[in-house]
Amino acid sequence: MLGNFLLTLALLAGVFTVIMYYLTYRGYQNTLTFARIGYHTTAVLVISAAALLLYAVLTHQYQFKYVYNYSGSGMSTGLTISTFYAGQEGSFMLWTFWTAIIGLILLDYTSKRGDLEPRVMMVFALSLSFLLIMVCPLLKSPFNYIWMENDFLDLKNINPAFLNLPALQSFIFSDPQSNKQFVQMGKELHAALVANNVSVNDFIIQGKGLNPLLQNFWMQIHPPILFTGFAMSAVPFAFAMAAMLKNDYRDWIKQALPWVLTGTCILGLAIMLGGYWAYGVLGWGGYWGWDPVENSSLVPWLIGVASIHTILVQKKTQDKGGGSRFVKMNLILCIMIYVLVLYSTFLTRSGILGDASVHSFVDPGMAVYLFLLIFLISFALIGIGGIVYRWKYLTEHFTFEDNALSRELALFTGSVALIATAIIVAVGTSAPIIGTTVQTSFYNQLNLPIAIIIGLLNGLSLLLKWKTTEKKDLWKKSQFFIAITLLLTALVVIFGGVHEIMLILLTFSSAFALFVNGEIAYKILRGRKSFLGPYVAHIGIALFLVGVLATAGHSKQKQIDLIKGEPVKVLDHELTFVGFDTFDNGQKYHFNIEVKSGDSKPQVVSPIMFVAEFNNSLMREPDILVGLTHDFYIAPLGYSNGEENANGTSETMKSGDTFKYNDKEIVFDKFILPEDMSAMMGGGKFRISVELTVNYNGKTEKLEPYMENAGQGPQYYPAESKNADLKVSITSMNATNKQVTLDFSTISGQGKTATPKEVLTVEASIKPFISLVWTGVLVMVAGFLISAFRRSKESLS
Amino acid sequence: MKNKYIYGGGIIVVFLAVMIYLFTQTNVQYEQSFTKIMESGKICKATGSWVKEKNYEIDKSHNIFEFYMKDPEGKVMKVIYYGTIPNNFESSTSIVVTGKFKDGNFHATDILTKCPSKYQDQSIQKANS
Repeated sequence: MLGNFLLTLALLAGVFTVIMYYLTYRGYQNTLTFARIGYHTTAVLVISAAALLLYAVLTHQYQFKYVYNYSGSGMSTGLTISTFYAGQEGSFMLWTFWTAIIGLILLDYTSKRGDLEPRVMMVFALSLSFLLIMVCPLLKSPFNYIWMENDFLDLKNINPAFLNLPALQSFIFSDPQSNKQFVQMGKELHAALVANNVSVNDFIIQGKGLNPLLQNFWMQIHPPILFTGFAMSAVPFAFAMAAMLKNDYRDWIKQALPWVLTGTCILGLAIMLGGYWAYGVLGWGGYWGWDPVENSSLVPWLIGVASIHTILVQKKTQDKGGGSRFVKMNLILCIMIYVLVLYSTFLTRSGILGDASVHSFVDPGMAVYLFLLIFLISFALIGIGGIVYRWKYLTEHFTFEDNALSRELALFTGSVALIATAIIVAVGTSAPIIGTTVQTSFYNQLNLPIAIIIGLLNGLSLLLKWKTTEKKDLWKKSQFFIAITLLLTALVVIFGGVHEIMLILLTFSSAFALFVNGEIAYKILRGRKSFLGPYVAHIGIALFLVGVLATAGHSKQKQIDLIKGEPVKVLDHELTFVGFDTFDNGQKYHFNIEVKSGDSKPQVVSPIMFVAEFNNSLMREPDILVGLTHDFYIAPLGYSNGEENANGTSETMKSGDTFKYNDKEIVFDKFILPEDMSAMMGGGKFRISVELTVNYNGKTEKLEPYMENAGQGPQYYPAESKNADLKVSITSMNATNKQVTLDFSTISGQGKTATPKEVLTVEASIKPFISLVWTGVLVMVAGFLISAFRRSKESLS
Repeated sequence: MKNKYIYGGGIIVVFLAVMIYLFTQTNVQYEQSFTKIMESGKICKATGSWVKEKNYEIDKSHNIFEFYMKDPEGKVMKVIYYGTIPNNFESSTSIVVTGKFKDGNFHATDILTKCPSKYQDQSIQKANS
């Protein structure tokens, strides 16, 4: 109750803040203090609500539906904390929480810069209010009680001490399909529990738990960083709206720049961590699958990077006393960053992606769907409306011509290339809306030429001067770089085996960018280090492109069977499966493989496999031998201890057939059908046995393996004879043809075939220079941070 | 002044044309009815569920994974996937395979499993009725 109360109050305070800031903007005196109090109140309420949810998660308060559905007992503290944002409600809560905190910093920042505060904070508080509507009790509040709606809880999650309560009996149901028992939780049961003085937190002792796919380190850091990026995307929007409200387009640029830089930096880092998660833990083999959910956060990021470049041009041209360039474009881009974040949220949360994505959320219900749409459309309309309203003024005051060979135009072209990429990704990602989808080749083919252009511009723009450059000068400056780039490209083509023209061009353009930026960075390193930002970021993107190129073009993979103790050569490595050990209370298995390459000391890699109780399925986690020039990636596929299949043999028999196995004669006599056939017809539990006669060493024995069906498909039960050293299991039976397929094996493991062998099947792959993908992004992030630091200092002047 | 718009416009038109062309080339439809899939023989995303009773087979030497899938009307087809069995295949509630129907089998190049974890447990809801 308290949580919902806090959130409702926060929403009211948020709306109050918007109104107070609006009045301040309209020139009212005295309202500014109310607005500030209003915002601080909102923020404190949101932070308290978040703290309460964290407390509820940590203390396992399963009285909350959200905590029951997504959390559980018995996990490490870190993972338990991460269940805070494992579902829709909690992740909206996290987003709201970060937005509230960012707003506090923004309030302080804007209050020190002229009359900026009311305009910026009005818009920002509005976006916070929308998020607060999202988590209000009527939509997606994480604080709704579990008994508000009827739900069936697995009996194993209920405290056994209360199972004998007479009042409880009418709420216990069993599901014949899954053979599980459930307790119907609802208002009636809650009333019954209250009448018996039982608290719901004592009654429910375990939650559904966290999906094992999410149970790892990255779950603890990727979503919080991503949502910080999302929360920060509202800031450029607020600045752009503030500029249009005042009809003054000069100062907002330098004030917004550090925010755009930091926001883009954080979002970029989050996207990369998501990629690393997919690569290193989930075993998807790659880091980027063009999955709609990954894509949808990439699009606003690309627009953010594009906006940084044109903002820079506007700032530079203003400072030099000329007219401001790209004013309209900067406004539109800053608005689009946030609108695209909202669009991304709509795509991934509304259930519209459905089958198209591995990890989109499912249908959240009509009300949430509509609200997400309203959220998106409102902010798109506010932004576009502002632009349309000011369009005439903007075109009259800010239209210019550029010299073809100027840094301005090069940066503009770079932005346009980034926008083009964003459009491609957005179009591909949106395809499921019209009931279709695109193959990944759509993204790869279209983005490759753009990547080449971006690489070239990355280097070229820095060789060009502002305003205008003499052709002769440009040629003189670039000669050296072109020469060494050509040399390197030639080497890569000859020794690296790159033969496709587009890939050669990409090699050329990213190497060119690398050299130009490297040289400038080297020069600056001895001068004013705070100016390093852009060059570091550019080196990062160039390294990233090289990494993508190498991994995409030269990954090799092979599937192999590793027999315990027997070394196998694969992809220049010698692998020996040495056995497995268990961890996590014996629930998970490390499969240890000794890897030797060349003369180096053997190293052990330990991919993991286990059967997760959560969804009763086999989970596989790869292990990676990280190297400077390549990663050696081992993904486990399966394991067989050799007892069941290695020495067995299979035979399909009709009644009366005889089969010989290990000097034993096995006769299939007949099926034994249930006496009461009605169970078989009516879908109830029934059993069909297979009667066999086994003759060996002059003795005779009867065996009866059987099939049992309790309504959820057949279960087969083997039969064995110790004296005959024989085990017979049914693989399948066909009642209409009166046929049965049987598996014969020895119990002792001796027989026709050799002793059972433990076999581990793995997929081994070489990922050359994949480390460059990660270092590239990290270097880029560092560049963003250096720039953000420098620009935030400048923004005060 | 005029030139700027002509060049810019030209580039935008070419870009959009290439994108739309590739979109139509790489676009894949979702298809639920296996009857239609078998008739058309075009690349599509077939959605259905795994036929548990028929089990699955893994051919390690050729890196092939075979199983049977059925559509909502109960029509069954054999799927040959060129790759390895995906994580949590066994517990999937529905499967989406990308590929085309040829020579009596569905040849898949991509497979996606949806797990019940993402859904509110619907089978449980039914238990009430």
